Amino acid sequence: MASSENISRARPVWTLRGWLSSHRNFQRVQQVIIFIIMAVGAVAMIAPFEWMLATSFSRSANVAMPRIPTFWPADPSTFNYKVAITNLPLVRYYLNSLFVTVAATLGYLFFSSLTGYAFAKGRFVGKSVLFIILLTTLMIPFEIRMIPMYLLMRQLHLSDSYAALILPFISGGFGTFLMRQYISAIPDELIDAARVDGANEFTIYTRVVLPLCGPALAALTVLSALWRWNDVLWPLLVISDRHLYTVTFGLAMASRSQGIFTGVALATSTIAILPIMILYLFLQRYIIRGIMLTGLKG
Amino acid sequence: MLRKLRKSLIWYAFVAPTFILYGLFVAYPTFETFRLSFYQEVATQQQFVGALHYIRLLGNQVFLAALLNTAFLGIVFLMIIIPLSLVMASLLNNLRVWSNLFKAIYFLPQITSTVAVALVFSYVFQPNWGLVNGLLRQLGVDPLPLWLAEPRYVLTGSRAAVTILAIWVALGYYMLIFQAGLQAVPAELYDAAVVDGAGPLQTWWLITLPNLRPTFIFLFITGTIDAMSRFSDLWMLGGPAGTPARSLQTIVLYMYQTAFESNDFNLASASGVILFVIVLIFTLFNFRSFLQREFSGQSGA
Repeated sequence: MASSENISRARPVWTLRGWLSSHRNFQRVQQVIIFIIMAVGAVAMIAPFEWMLATSFSRSANVAMPRIPTFWPADPSTFNYKVAITNLPLVRYYLNSLFVTVAATLGYLFFSSLTGYAFAKGRFVGKSVLFIILLTTLMIPFEIRMIPMYLLMRQLHLSDSYAALILPFISGGFGTFLMRQYISAIPDELIDAARVDGANEFTIYTRVVLPLCGPALAALTVLSALWRWNDVLWPLLVISDRHLYTVTFGLAMASRSQGIFTGVALATSTIAILPIMILYLFLQRYIIRGIMLTGLKG
Repeated sequence: MLRKLRKSLIWYAFVAPTFILYGLFVAYPTFETFRLSFYQEVATQQQFVGALHYIRLLGNQVFLAALLNTAFLGIVFLMIIIPLSLVMASLLNNLRVWSNLFKAIYFLPQITSTVAVALVFSYVFQPNWGLVNGLLRQLGVDPLPLWLAEPRYVLTGSRAAVTILAIWVALGYYMLIFQAGLQAVPAELYDAAVVDGAGPLQTWWLITLPNLRPTFIFLFITGTIDAMSRFSDLWMLGGPAGTPARSLQTIVLYMYQTAFESNDFNLASASGVILFVIVLIFTLFNFRSFLQREFSGQSGA
């Protein structure tokens, strides 16, 4: 009696185990198929970059490209890079990009968080009206404002200056909005405690609020840096002096004259994007998290 | 009362810089775009001309073609990228190895400047030796497509090339947003579906898709706005006129060409206002879901 009960109870366990193992097999097959699909996609993502890199090291690419694409240069040489560096003041472009990006991003972080703090924790007449006015920025794309902005820069004699590349972007509705949302979640008790200790609002902002805003500030840094580094439309309008070209803009302008020399053009674009890609390798977790937090892209 | 005012002063000081910059670079230029669109420059004087520019635009074949082109490129792009990225994100979500590596690789084109990507793709789509045609030749395709040199509405023309480019660039971003949406679907719903005996496809259709509604709306609307203001990649590939044969000209390219090559700031402003109205319609749809997204994003952070 007891043994037959054991058997009847063991059977489902056995069949369940059998089912599980086939389910596991099914899962293994599924994993392999998904992996292959993702890998094919990944190859398609990387192939153009690899091809660019291979061609940039090929001197003969300037004269005749192989009819069958190669992912390794037949005649490896750094000729194209030497020409690219002699043709264009790329170091200067890089310094310009770096300066504009850092300055605009620092401003963006500072003003977004300062104003965001006021909107999150401050008490003043007209707060909600002012906040709604600020939110309208989100509805007005840059492209719609660009003509009067260009005319304004000319009137202010700011065309062809670093200020033109930085000033319009050191504050923004989106940044302020994000910081306000983030700071709202900070408990009032922390701020009140500092106030009781006699700290003024600016001290509270620098000592209490800012240290708690890490993830939001990181997300805004990523966005602002990508926007400024990769922008081409605004420099196209306000910059004509070659000494002020950013890397991205310099590459765009150079591509028009270098277009026929494939090897040199691709060496130039490699110089323009490779450092950013290497930086991305190290920071990709933070960059992806930042984009996910804000829902916006570069 | 005075004390209260003095206390508020500090807050006004905190919002003042942002509002000064807002006035200079958002409010004033937006207002000015509207104003310019109703004026005409006559002997360096601005003269009020009413709706003249709008009437000119509505009868202007080049502008209408650019408008149609922008809409066409945007619709085709969204019709491909949304299903494709959803499928890819669902797959990636189920992959147990290397999923972060794949995520990082798919996102790579997104951090690369549009200028560099467009430059590389002008060679990728080169008809004689470009990467794409080189591979097609290996596969025995004959005759090889012309890609960026073919202005007609064909599957291997300039519009197809720039759509492939846009999808290649945006796929990682769309997948990322879909993955965030997929992970936000409550696990209990899936457990309940399993208990009720639903298969994987049924679960996907009845649980996953309806729960992704906010993500669909967000991507559809932000995607539309991005597509309406598309500029950089097409400017790199076809110049301000959207060469070949204006097949790549969008509204913003038309605006740029009208303002900075034909020096007609007034007509360009009128086309900017039309762009503004189109974007506004989509933004208003988006505004609520956008705010909701931000609020829910905070609780998760």
